[in-house]
Amino acid sequence: MLDHLPTMLLVMLGLPVAAAVVVAAAGARVPSAARAIALLAVVLNLIVTAFVVKDVAPVLHERNSQIEKIAGDNRIRTFEPIGVPGSPDGRAPTQWSLLAIPVSSTGFSPAMISFYLGVDGLNLWLIALTNFLMLPSVLISWTTIRERANEYYAWLLILQTGMLGVFLAFDVVLFYVFFELTLVPLFFVIGIWGGPARREAARKFFLFTLAGSLITLLGLVGLVVAIHFKTGELTFAIPRLVELMQLQLRVPDTESIEFWRTVQLVCFLAMSLGFAVKVPLFPVHTWLPLAHVEAPTAGSVLLAGVLLKLGTYAFVRLCLPLVPDAVISVGVPLIGTLAAVGVIYGSLCAFSQRDIKKMVAYSSVAHLGFCMLGIFALNTVGLTGGLLQMINHGLSTGGLFLLVGMLYDRYHTRMMDDYSGVAARLKLLAIAMVIICLSSVGMPFLNGFIGEMLILAGVMDMPIGLGAFILAAVGAAGLVLGAWYLFTMLRRVFFGPLNLPHHDPNQGPVSDLTLRELATIVPVIAACLYIGLYPQPMIATTQRDVALIADIVQTRQNLRLPMDKLALAAQPENPIR
Amino acid sequence: MLPFAELDAVSQSLRHVFALAIPEAFLLVAACLIYLGGTVRASRSLWASAALTSLLLAFWLFWKQEPPADFAVSVSALTPDRLSGLVHILAYAGGVLLLFLFWNDVPDERSADFFACLLILVAGLSLVGGANDLLTMFLALELISIPTYVLLYLPRSGERPQEAAIKYFLLSIFSSAVLLFGFSYVYGVTGSVHLSAISQRLSAMGSGSELLRMATVMIVAGLAFRITAVPFHFYAPDVFQGVSNSLAAMLSVAPKLAGFAALVRLGPSLFWAATDVGGLSQTTLLFWVLAALTMTVGNVLGLLQTDLRRLLAYSSIAHGGYMLVGLAAATQLRGDGLRGVDAVFFYLVAYAAMTLGAFAVLNALRAGHCDVQTIDDLAGVGRNQPLLALALMLFLFSLIGLPLTAGFAGKLLLFLSALSAEEQLAEGSQGVFALLALIGALNAAAGAYYYLRLVGIMYLRESVKPQASASGWPVRLTVAICVVLTLALGIYPTRVVSAIHRAVVPESALVAWRAP
Repeated sequence: MLDHLPTMLLVMLGLPVAAAVVVAAAGARVPSAARAIALLAVVLNLIVTAFVVKDVAPVLHERNSQIEKIAGDNRIRTFEPIGVPGSPDGRAPTQWSLLAIPVSSTGFSPAMISFYLGVDGLNLWLIALTNFLMLPSVLISWTTIRERANEYYAWLLILQTGMLGVFLAFDVVLFYVFFELTLVPLFFVIGIWGGPARREAARKFFLFTLAGSLITLLGLVGLVVAIHFKTGELTFAIPRLVELMQLQLRVPDTESIEFWRTVQLVCFLAMSLGFAVKVPLFPVHTWLPLAHVEAPTAGSVLLAGVLLKLGTYAFVRLCLPLVPDAVISVGVPLIGTLAAVGVIYGSLCAFSQRDIKKMVAYSSVAHLGFCMLGIFALNTVGLTGGLLQMINHGLSTGGLFLLVGMLYDRYHTRMMDDYSGVAARLKLLAIAMVIICLSSVGMPFLNGFIGEMLILAGVMDMPIGLGAFILAAVGAAGLVLGAWYLFTMLRRVFFGPLNLPHHDPNQGPVSDLTLRELATIVPVIAACLYIGLYPQPMIATTQRDVALIADIVQTRQNLRLPMDKLALAAQPENPIR
Repeated sequence: MLPFAELDAVSQSLRHVFALAIPEAFLLVAACLIYLGGTVRASRSLWASAALTSLLLAFWLFWKQEPPADFAVSVSALTPDRLSGLVHILAYAGGVLLLFLFWNDVPDERSADFFACLLILVAGLSLVGGANDLLTMFLALELISIPTYVLLYLPRSGERPQEAAIKYFLLSIFSSAVLLFGFSYVYGVTGSVHLSAISQRLSAMGSGSELLRMATVMIVAGLAFRITAVPFHFYAPDVFQGVSNSLAAMLSVAPKLAGFAALVRLGPSLFWAATDVGGLSQTTLLFWVLAALTMTVGNVLGLLQTDLRRLLAYSSIAHGGYMLVGLAAATQLRGDGLRGVDAVFFYLVAYAAMTLGAFAVLNALRAGHCDVQTIDDLAGVGRNQPLLALALMLFLFSLIGLPLTAGFAGKLLLFLSALSAEEQLAEGSQGVFALLALIGALNAAAGAYYYLRLVGIMYLRESVKPQASASGWPVRLTVAICVVLTLALGIYPTRVVSAIHRAVVPESALVAWRAP
């Protein structure tokens, strides 16, 4: 079945774009057809995703037998994506080139920016999450988007392609292309169908993210050029870059070590700026609350559920393997601190909000700060927790936005002060909200707990002495604060004496969740429960790639010895626990 | 009776210069005929078709040329090498697009003069690419300037255009004078006007001559006027605002092509002839400062504009700055690594496509005889003219540098060359090109602000006055061609990039563009 995997990946990537063109053109004539075609496209993509997961997961499980060998031997290993379109066997690098850069130095064929897609342990579940969240997004917009509906669904589908492309890309420039392409559809979705301050929100989101991404492009290109300068090979393929980087870092020449130290530092700072804006990390997070509040519900769901993961995924895929020294020396103190501050700051800001959507937006800052703590723990446990928490956050925050959207559709206000005792009237909605809030808080049996425990375990394991304990304490405090503001919101809005906002009687009676809305939220809740009860299959598929990254970084950690002892450091101590 | 050596020189000239200049001579003759015909008959479609036919015929003559086999060792005024071929193709293609842009935009009674001047301009552009010595280059540059003065003055429809024409004229002759002065110093230092002789003498001498440094500065200053580099850019916003859309389009594309073609042609002889590898030569610093200033001034002042033509003028200045980054990198790289000259030419092509397209859409959007003036005039175009708005959105996104557009591919190549130049730097001056690349990235982000504002106004605002589309088929054809070019160069630029690379590689100076 793996023979069909490349085709399935291409279909998964291309179907939304084709559907977007059809929706935009046909929907102009027949408005109701737009949402039907969009729904069909999303469901088809979900089916393709199911097949992809079914095929790929066993292969990834089987790779876990390599893990014991990764620790302790000096072989250079790199990412091994499968299902690569344009490659002879689906595993070798692709031969489809987009732009051949003519290089004057002879001896190597012209370097290619290639159309290099693939699936491996890191991106499989993120791809599944993206396609999974598209279905609720289309369903929640079913009745609320009336004007220019065909354009709206077309932009949503193009956004889906952009997000999938980022996760599937294994070429640096292709990654960047899709990373930037997600800006355009979301700019229009927020700017046309958003709330009162939508134009400013769209503009701030676009410009902030673009500015960061341009600096990231400099960092990525700088790294590629530096590797070209030292090895003579100009390549943009991520697995090859990781391999070449490890080879370069093992050269014992002091001049080379100095060179790579400087280059890694500069490139790390440049790359992480753009990714940090996307995550969002503490000082550069200011675009997020505005964008979330003003976006229509589906826009918020996709923005929080998937787009924020682009940043954290980029850290794991690009920063950690490519600039490991800089990550250890500068990344852990800088980003660890910013993430910790973000957790507390985000939680406190969330607690002080009166608008439910803004509260959830700030909670995203807190949750993703926590996720970044896990990633920068730089060990398998922390990285696994970070990856898992990305999925969990997508589900729980996506669910929160969906439910807030359903509440808003009925009463047209999001202020907590306007509501009280909703649970008495809207029982199903209240049940769903309580479950999603518990998932976000991290109650055992739900998905949040697994991710949070893994991250805390990973952070406590960091070899930075007291700092590890402080970071873990901050993270745990963030969890407590999270419970505080979410339960406060639940108490104020859903429980207590009944006091609902005025509802326009011309719009019909306020009903509990309709069938469509149940179809929107039940899959999300089911996924939360499933991951909470049985996370092992999901964790098992990521282990090989997580072990690879942890090994790359920890080898550098163990090699931070004085210069004269470098020659004596034959093999690293067992880095994987 | 002439001695044999003289006869030989005469026959060499006949073969190498006059034979190579046949397409341009044909264009000049056609222009004269159109001038004469215009006194008899005043019909713009007739003269436009005549001009189009002449352009196509001239291109066919150029394509069919057989360059003489021994041109590399001859000391003639024109050279048929690959770079010249590239500039020829760009000049004719740009000429055809400008022709379509002008087709319905000129008054009937002066249409013949318009199109004839355009033909002479294209002839001048092609000659700049083929120039092999300083005098021919100067002649070719003047052959571009003089029709431009006439074109700017022809509409004669009020104070504004006349003021713009006078401004351009005065500044242009001043810059030509400075350029010629610089050329004269180069002749004084090296004793020859021929480009390959100059490069040989300069490599033998090594750098360090004061006169030569002054000459370089003067030449760069003279050419910087055309590419609207910063201390010489002040005319651009006023002139763009004063003239019509199509003339502004021509001003933003043709002089840039001429200026950068001249700079690249002079490069191996003057700018990167004789400096030590790794060190930071003063010419590199000169281009560095020019690039940084131009980008910054162009983008920062563009943020403040409300008039569309001034905005596009500042955008044109900023993009000239980006191309200067490539030139600065080229001066450092000198044929090693990922060279900057490829990036400059690719960006020229991309820039021409997106800027001509943007001006063409603005032309297509006007109602009656009223040009689209301020940015508020664009409100609501997204609903009224969906296809044109989509095209303008594509061009604006390409100007920002979003992926899948030509602008992104161009910026990527420029960043690659700048960072590659960074690697070649010696110890003391490290970080210089990385800083330039950083300035470029920040400027691109700043520029995105005012381009995005236009997109927002088109799509996110409602229209305040009704718009009728008064455009004919030529303008829409230009828009369509530019859209196709922008997308093609953005999604699959390989062919164009390798073609440009083959044209500008240093060894290409010895290979005719039609090498068998």
